[in-house]
Amino acid sequence: MLKTNTTSVAGLSRVDAGLDWLQMLTGAGLILFMWCHMLLVSSVVISPSIMNAIAHFFEATYMAQVGGPLIFLTFLAHFVLAARKIPFRAEGQATIWQHAKMLKHRDTWLWVVQAGTAMIILILGAIHMWVVLNDLPITAAKSAARMQHFWWFVFYMILLPCVELHVSVGFYRIAVKWGFVKSDKRGSFKKFETTLFTIFMVIGVITLIRFVTLG
Amino acid sequence: MGRQIKFEIFRYNPERKGDVPHMQTFTLDETPNMTLFIALNRLREEQDPSLIFDFCCRAGICGACAMVINGRPGLACQTKTKDQPTNITLLPLPVYKLIGDLAVDTGVWFREMYAKTESWIHTAKVFDPKAEEERMDNEIAEQIYELERCIECGCCVAACGTARLRDDFMGAAALNRIARFVVDPRDERTDREYFEVIGNDNGIFGCMGLLACEDVCPKGLPLQNQLGFLRRKMGITAIKDIFRKK
Repeated sequence: MLKTNTTSVAGLSRVDAGLDWLQMLTGAGLILFMWCHMLLVSSVVISPSIMNAIAHFFEATYMAQVGGPLIFLTFLAHFVLAARKIPFRAEGQATIWQHAKMLKHRDTWLWVVQAGTAMIILILGAIHMWVVLNDLPITAAKSAARMQHFWWFVFYMILLPCVELHVSVGFYRIAVKWGFVKSDKRGSFKKFETTLFTIFMVIGVITLIRFVTLG
Repeated sequence: MGRQIKFEIFRYNPERKGDVPHMQTFTLDETPNMTLFIALNRLREEQDPSLIFDFCCRAGICGACAMVINGRPGLACQTKTKDQPTNITLLPLPVYKLIGDLAVDTGVWFREMYAKTESWIHTAKVFDPKAEEERMDNEIAEQIYELERCIECGCCVAACGTARLRDDFMGAAALNRIARFVVDPRDERTDREYFEVIGNDNGIFGCMGLLACEDVCPKGLPLQNQLGFLRRKMGITAIKDIFRKK
């Protein structure tokens, strides 16, 4: 609190509340999307034809052509909304870094992870979506061809953990911030979230390996 | 034979001309049941009478001895040295004005917080000293008491990433204070009136949910639940307001 401020308040404005709602809703929407996304791509592990069938369904129902760009817009909107809270000046970055180092507090570090991965996802995620949406329909063969290219493989080996971390921490954060998970359940919810992260990471890596080995 | 504890203590007295902030090392033999409060008093009595730190009740009630203990804000009187490693680093709480060494002025901050949150019962009822006191449901009274247990030590704000980044952020102590009046049936303020005070990025929507406030609170106040409660309540108030007849 500013030491010299007056006691007047900003007055009634719904802007901050609205932005916070939108940040949460776009985040929750993207989490749901990422879980569905995982179902689609990991289906290749069972059989490439299953993945093709699911991709074809999205294509035939125009969900890929319309939904894809909508997800892209949601992704960009979520970045702008959440970036309100991220310090972009070196001074603020130094403050939060020092603070996290001093406190040795897991949830504070997780926020730093969230902010850091956000920057990587913004760039790599945008490239990924651009490439995929410019080359519809999605097929297992096309994904495999991309993954078998060394630099694309490196690209996805960076993007995958970043997304999984960001999604997991975001899911946890929404739940505790909005009070869906109460204080007494926080510890077990965090464990649940870590388990979920591990499962998704394992599925993700298996999927990547499957794409690389797909003949 | 107890341990010999090494203390790294922040030293800076703004009142002393030419003094520069620095860390000073002290060593002290650990005694049974030693708290940081005991250790600091011994250091002041036996080694350096110029050491500045605050204390009053030595029982976790007044909140005066809050400081950063090995990186975590906490109360010196409640911290046993046996729970700490051999090296103990002590820093003054950030955010607040430094008085000297480990002492900070939390009073100014809390005074302003009171003014900002209008921390009193708002009622149009005229007080009648002769009338029998209004009865309150025991459950509600306990709920209010639970939030009233805040001793205003300032640990939650010092541990808050948002408060460190933005000095106009109210912090958990202020939001908890508001939550206390929201629960109180004697306060006639409407949700919309509370929204005017905390329904913005200085208030509940500024909170990033790092929850260090909850994790460091020496009194174990249910801050996470209160912040969640207020965020939902204020979020819903904003939505209701859209559909309000003008």
